[in-house]
Amino acid sequence: MNAFIAFFKKEMMESIRTYKFYILAVVFVLFGFMNPIIAKVMPDLLGSLLPDGMTITLSEPTALDAWGQFYKNGSQMGIVILVVMFSGIMANEFAKGTLVNILTKGMARPTVIFSKLAAASIQWTISYLLCIVITYGYTAYFWTMAGVENLFISLLGLWIFGELMISFVILGGILFRSLYGSLLFTGGLVVAMTILSIFPQTSSFNPVTLSTMNLALLTSGYEVSKFLSASLVTIVGMIISIFASVVVFNKKQI
Amino acid sequence: MDILQIDGISKQFGTNKVIDRLSFSVKEGSIFGFIGQNGAGKTTTMKMILGLLKIDQGEIKVCGEKVTYGQNKTNQMIGYLPDVPEFYNYMKPKEYLKLCGEITGIPRTELDNKISELLNLVGLIGANKKIGGFSRGMKQRLGIAQALLNEPKLLICDEPTSALDPIGRKEILDILERVKGKTTVIFSTHILSDVERICDEIAVLHDGKVALTGTIAQLKARHSQEGLQIEFLTLNDREHFLNCISTFEKINQIKETKMGLTLFSEEIHLLQAKVFECIMAEHILPTKIEVLEPSIEHLFMEVVK
Amino acid sequence: MDKLIEYLPILIPIIVLELGLMIAAIVHILRHKTYRIGNRTIWILVCFIQIIGPIAYFVFGRGDE
Repeated sequence: MNAFIAFFKKEMMESIRTYKFYILAVVFVLFGFMNPIIAKVMPDLLGSLLPDGMTITLSEPTALDAWGQFYKNGSQMGIVILVVMFSGIMANEFAKGTLVNILTKGMARPTVIFSKLAAASIQWTISYLLCIVITYGYTAYFWTMAGVENLFISLLGLWIFGELMISFVILGGILFRSLYGSLLFTGGLVVAMTILSIFPQTSSFNPVTLSTMNLALLTSGYEVSKFLSASLVTIVGMIISIFASVVVFNKKQI
Repeated sequence: MDILQIDGISKQFGTNKVIDRLSFSVKEGSIFGFIGQNGAGKTTTMKMILGLLKIDQGEIKVCGEKVTYGQNKTNQMIGYLPDVPEFYNYMKPKEYLKLCGEITGIPRTELDNKISELLNLVGLIGANKKIGGFSRGMKQRLGIAQALLNEPKLLICDEPTSALDPIGRKEILDILERVKGKTTVIFSTHILSDVERICDEIAVLHDGKVALTGTIAQLKARHSQEGLQIEFLTLNDREHFLNCISTFEKINQIKETKMGLTLFSEEIHLLQAKVFECIMAEHILPTKIEVLEPSIEHLFMEVVK
Repeated sequence: MDKLIEYLPILIPIIVLELGLMIAAIVHILRHKTYRIGNRTIWILVCFIQIIGPIAYFVFGRGDE
């Protein structure tokens, strides 16, 4: 336990001193502000871009438009930045050989993985929560939250998806020992899951559902039970990924 | 008591057999020099002792306990300094040692004292900047501090002096000599003068096996052939001297150098007498006469040839 | 214009954060000589590309201290 806490502190120090945590937090805070404002100004913006004399009727923006922006930004750019930020979490240690001293100090290898996982999760959770709080605050201020259903489950879904990405990035880093290997591994898995999602009948067990069906869930356009079963599959996938990381890392020659 | 026992280990990378049934042991409290050319397998052997590489065959025991690959139990008795120690560049030395101490489970109350003590030992007590800005010598010294943190029974240093300038090397050797009483030190090197300076015992690694082992005094006594080096003012003098000395039958070997000769004999005193005799007879004024002691370098060259 | 004033309380933090990130990146570039890839001119230009520019610098361009 002492080793876990010590290494966790080291990971947090690393993220702060190499600016990773700041950047992640700033990006998500920015999204937090941008989501409602973009939803708010979009009709005006479109209106002003149209040539004179031409009119289209745009419905007044609602809270759903703000959450639509939230999921678009969060599931695309947000997840990409999360993955990029943590792509070096294992790879850099291998590339630079910094783990040699740590492991020869008698630190158990699984503890390295668990403390890295915990540190990355905390940073993801804080950034994501900041984004939610800001978007929620302004959305509630501009509009009313009436008609927005299943918000909690929908938000939780994207969070779990982020956690899955963190576990992939760690496994990729251990498998390929390089930053780009880790990125390609994670990217490849996401592409594979996205291709699978072309078939609608797979959506109830495809993790990608947690980052694509969020808005539909808010309007009850997607079934909660399907979303929950996809969440369950994602959690199982994450556990398998972490387990594989431990097994492979134990066998790795350093 | 033997602190480290290596018993017939082998290691192969692909088709390349790096270590071939290697055996040796290290006594407690000594400084053990592990010598070999670049690529002889010194680092590989050390990494196997640390359980960082899989052993294909044979076994290694540290303090009587068997080393198993991937597990770090025996490592709690070992301090390791890699050839190029790598640290987290964004940390300061104190923070890094604190991390190491917490990982090893040194009680918080002792840790701070321990860290200042070690930083003092390696001369980094005033270096309160990030490790990223350290020179190689400073990193090497921090590496020793890091390795000594858990009061290891065995300190393993992989080529600690190879990449350093003469001053840096001297500092490292002085530190190793200072810790001698507290812990057993194994260090690998190909710089033979370092070995002669501080080692009690050595093993020469060649072709994956131990080619030579023993204390330095033993090894020197075993190879008792001694040499005498003479240098002359002119090549003409050398010619005359050579004519005279070649009548002496106890010479084993004569080597010509640029302006002189190196003579080898098992009876160095008789040789010396004869040399002076010739110098007097031929009226030669040599610029230098030196008795060559059997050096580790000679032994090494003989073995590795 | 009325609209702009209405949105000001939410626009200000966005501008502050974006500018802050950009300035932080540029200051870091100017204070360091070595980069993992690229050179100073390229990275300064990159910093002006939306928010992704400064982020790209911190992730891919920032060299070791």
